[in-house]
Amino acid sequence: MAITLQKLTKTYGRTLAVDGLDLEVRPGRVTGFLGPNGAGKSTTMRMVLGLDRPTSGRALVNGRPYADYQWPLREVGAVLEAKAAHPGRTGRNHLLAMARSNAIPAGRVDEVLGMVGLGDAAGKRFGTYSLGMGQRLGLAGALLGDPGVLILDEPVNGLDPDGVRWIRRLLRDLAAEGRTVFVSSHLLTEMQMTASHLVVIAKGRLLADAPMDDLLGGHGSLEDAYYELTESAA
Amino acid sequence: MRAAISSEWTKLWTTRTIWWALLAAFTLMAAAAGQNSFYVNNGDVPATSAGDVAVLSVAIAQLAFVALAMLVMTSEYSAGTIRATLSWVPSRGRLLSAKIAVVAAVTLAGGVLAGLLGGVVAAGIVDDASDITGGAVKIGIYLMLLGVLATGLAAALRGPVVTLVVLLMGIVVVPPLLQIPDISVLNGIADTFPGVAGDHFLSGDSNPYPQAVGLLILMGWAVLAVVAGWRVLQRRDA
Ligand SMILES: Nc1ncnc2c1ncn2[C@@H]1O[C@H](COP(=O)(O)OP(=O)(O)O)[C@@H](O)[C@H]1O
Ligand SMILES: [Mg+2]
Repeated sequence: MAITLQKLTKTYGRTLAVDGLDLEVRPGRVTGFLGPNGAGKSTTMRMVLGLDRPTSGRALVNGRPYADYQWPLREVGAVLEAKAAHPGRTGRNHLLAMARSNAIPAGRVDEVLGMVGLGDAAGKRFGTYSLGMGQRLGLAGALLGDPGVLILDEPVNGLDPDGVRWIRRLLRDLAAEGRTVFVSSHLLTEMQMTASHLVVIAKGRLLADAPMDDLLGGHGSLEDAYYELTESAA
Repeated sequence: MRAAISSEWTKLWTTRTIWWALLAAFTLMAAAAGQNSFYVNNGDVPATSAGDVAVLSVAIAQLAFVALAMLVMTSEYSAGTIRATLSWVPSRGRLLSAKIAVVAAVTLAGGVLAGLLGGVVAAGIVDDASDITGGAVKIGIYLMLLGVLATGLAAALRGPVVTLVVLLMGIVVVPPLLQIPDISVLNGIADTFPGVAGDHFLSGDSNPYPQAVGLLILMGWAVLAVVAGWRVLQRRDA
């Protein structure tokens, strides 16, 4: 299994952010991670990447904790937030430092810059980037190690319609290549258009883990299905 | 480990911080060496050789090195890049070691160069042009240890302001305050501070302890700061 969560739990002081999540995310499809703001999506993703320490339970990538990999960027590509680079560093130098950290050939930097359509802006400092350019740089970084697993936290936030369409296409293509694509959003329609499998959480708890078609089948729309789930949980 | 160091090295040289810091360090060093040389010629300062003048002149230039070392760590938090960085290099120990290696290399080399610069400036003004190389090597070692101390402390405290305040306290603020009343107990306490221990190492006096002990005390502080920084990195969420 590409991403495995076992009774994953996280508390911040008295806040229960993630509450005993059991989950397996499979390769070859886009898995949407849906839940209202504050549901625990970002916290879950940070624990998968070894950034936050679980209060209890485990998160594994291809059977091992992320932090155990010598070259994690070749295993997992992640886009956590748009502000991932130092404002004073150019996009290309950011990717170059990133490549060197995981012994990835420097030539790969220009490859991924081309893939995300950022070639011209690569020499500009990150502080001058628009939100959309920042997201493209983040995606370039995620693709740098040609990883089999991609984790994206709200990648379409703040993007213009062209950017949204572009990301949707890219994610579906990456999944079609057999990769695992795990993407969070609090936007129903966005998930409906991008994901073929859906994981729904609220208040840190798992509400549903099912193919999109199954969720839609019993209801008129994803919206109906979603509100039925979240209301029965509340 | 080589990959992590290479990445940190690339990061260091690809923002403007390093250039400003080095410019400030060399400018302050040259200016202080010039000024101190005139004091020597006037007989106001006990130093005699050009190397001694350079050593005296570190007092101000060291702040630029300390700031540079600290920023290597604190900028990860102020720019919000620490999560990205730890996702590249998830091992906290490896990341901190890489940063320390890079800081140590730059402060050692930069410190020796600054020491040579100060010595050359002084040699043009004071009569005794000796000790330049020896002084520069001592300055490089001193600034390297100070740089490592600053990096470790920054990892423990995370914020640039609080880190700088604590560093200045330990190096330039508290020791003189303790020494003002000239009470032996307080002087003894001051002698254990990193700034005073560094002074004893640099000046080579054997009172109250030999030069090597000053070096060891400074090393002890650097190790302590690194261990504190490592523990905080290890325990706290990014
Ligand atoms: N670093 C943190 N410190 C304290 N509370 C946090 C922290 N990160 C998240 N939380 C809390 O945990 C809960 C889940 O947050 P988050 O994972 O960001 O949700 P989502 O990404 O689904 O919007 C929220 O109540 C949030 O306030
Ligand atoms: Mg979130």
